[in-house]
Order: sequence, then C-alpha cells, then structure tokens
Amino acid sequence: MKTFDDLKSQWQEQALPETPKDGSKLVLKKIDFLQSKHRITNRVLLTTVLVLIGFFFYINAYKYMVVTVGLLLMIGTLLIRVSIEYFSIRNLKKLNVTKDAIAFKADMIAYYKARLKTHYIATPIIIFFYAVGFYLLLPSFKQSLSKGFYTYVWVSAIVLLFIIGFFIGREIKKELGILKKIT
Amino acid sequence: MKLQVSKFEEIYNANYSVVFRICQGYTNGDEALSKDLAQEVFIKVWENLASFRNESSISTWIYRITVNCCLLELRNKKSVAIEPHLSHLEHTETNFTDHREVQLKQMHQCISKLKTENKSIILLELEGLPQKEIADIMGLSHETIRVRIHRIKNELIKCVKL
Repeated sequence: MKTFDDLKSQWQEQALPETPKDGSKLVLKKIDFLQSKHRITNRVLLTTVLVLIGFFFYINAYKYMVVTVGLLLMIGTLLIRVSIEYFSIRNLKKLNVTKDAIAFKADMIAYYKARLKTHYIATPIIIFFYAVGFYLLLPSFKQSLSKGFYTYVWVSAIVLLFIIGFFIGREIKKELGILKKIT
Repeated sequence: MKLQVSKFEEIYNANYSVVFRICQGYTNGDEALSKDLAQEVFIKVWENLASFRNESSISTWIYRITVNCCLLELRNKKSVAIEPHLSHLEHTETNFTDHREVQLKQMHQCISKLKTENKSIILLELEGLPQKEIADIMGLSHETIRVRIHRIKNELIKCVKL
C-alpha cells in the first residue's frame, strides 16, 4: 500500500514545465492588448448610446408621446442592462486576488450572490419594461410597416424573448454551479 | 518602469513552473488550459506588484494569487474529461513512463474530486510548501491546516488506485 509520501514524491518527480522563453514579455503584451480592448469597448458603448440618442431625435420620436415612451423604455432598459453587465464584469476583475484564499472566497460568494439578485430581480423587471416599450410601439409599427413585415417584427420579438430566456437560464445555472462549488 | 519590468521578469522565471503545476491541479492536468491560467496569474502579479509589501515571501504571495485565480477561473473553465484519456493509457500501458503517467492522471482525477478549498491545500502540500505558509495563503490557522491536510491525505490515498 502506498503512502502519501509516495504520492508526493511522484508528484514532485514530474518533469517541471519549461518556462516559456520571453514569457514575461508576452504577459506584458497581453496586458497592453487587454487595456486597448477595454478602451475599444468603452468607445463602442459610448458610440451606441450616442447613435440611439441621435436616432431618437432623427425620427422626431419626441413629437409622439406613446412612441417616445415606448422607445425610451426599450432604449433605457437596454442601457441599464448593458451597464449592469459592464459594472459586474468590472467588479469581478477588481476582486483583490492578493487576499488570503478564505477572504477571497467570501468576496467571490458575495459577488455571485449579487449576480443572482441581478438575474432574479433586476433582469425580469428590465425584460418586463422592455416588453412594455415594445408593446407601446406596435401600433406605430402596424401603421408604418407592411403586414408581412409587421408580423415578422412581433413574431421575431417573441422568438427573441425565448432565446434571451434560454441564455439567462443557462447563465443562472452556470453561476449557481460556481456558487455550489465554492461554498 | 524598467526596474519593475526586470523585477517582474525575474519573478516570472523563478515561479512559472510551480505556478503552472498548481494550475494543472485545477485543470485535470490539461496543458493548454494550465498555460492560459498561469498567464492570468502573472497578469494579476504584474497588476498588483506595486502593492506587494514584503509581509510574506514573494513566492507565498504569488501562490496566494495562483490559488485565487484558479478559483476565479471556475467561471471560464471548460470541463476537461480525464476518464477517456485515463482508460486509453491503461489499455496501452507498455512501459514505466506510461505507468507513471497513468498514476499521475489518477492523482489529477482524485484531486479534481476534492472541494475547491481542499484542492488548493493539497496542491500546495504536494508542492512541498511548509504548513505555516499554506496556512498563510489560505487564511486559516496552522492547526486547522494540519488537521485538514491529514484528512485530505487519507481521502487522496483511498481514491488513487494502488
């Protein structure tokens, strides 16, 4: 029967992986790449907001109360959801990895619990108001679009709702799995 | 800046191998995933290097980051099925090297079954770190670590096919 010391020596006798040549330089390059990716993401988000606001004024949406409310609800909820996701990812990256493992685990549990709150409370509210916004826009769509295209718009909206529901469900399952693993 | 870069290079070269092997313990020995994970660890090392206060040795500090990054990577980790590879090795086992590989794979498989905290503890123990240092990395008392290691050792020995 083997002892733990046998296992330990077997583990330590494994050939040590070779340290990649210029590995530290590659790490620094990756950091530069991540920082520029982060800057690009910020610019894309800002441009999207500006385009949406521009579109709102371009179609003179503010002249029609119902259309205005509908568009604001759809754009607003979308922006809120994107912001929640953006800050959530930022918080995850900001977790202090230099803490001891138990303190870090506590931070991770708090993070994932907050994520679940977002999924269970914020996301359904957001989807609800997004759907209300869409519903308010339907009469204007009916007026300005052909019958076929109008049908396509509302059918695709329902399909999209199911697809979003599926992805949210998958994300919740994944994050519940992580919570289970670390608690 | 240049000084920090050269210090980082030194730290990287001195610690990469052990960091990589700890990461392998979290990825069932998968080399590609472990490489990515080790790179993540050193990104965090670079980002936090300025805040290192010499309260512990630099290697203890790096292993703490490694353990935490591995925990964090649960989010992105694709599960690596080890069983098919293991069974393939068992059936084609021909020489001493293969036999050792089978046993190492079995160890990885058994380690993967442990709870994340116990996994971290035993990986550090297998790397030969003093229990006091493991306690420092984990944020547990020396006595708790001693008891835990004893328990995990038994669990691991039972699991590995002998």
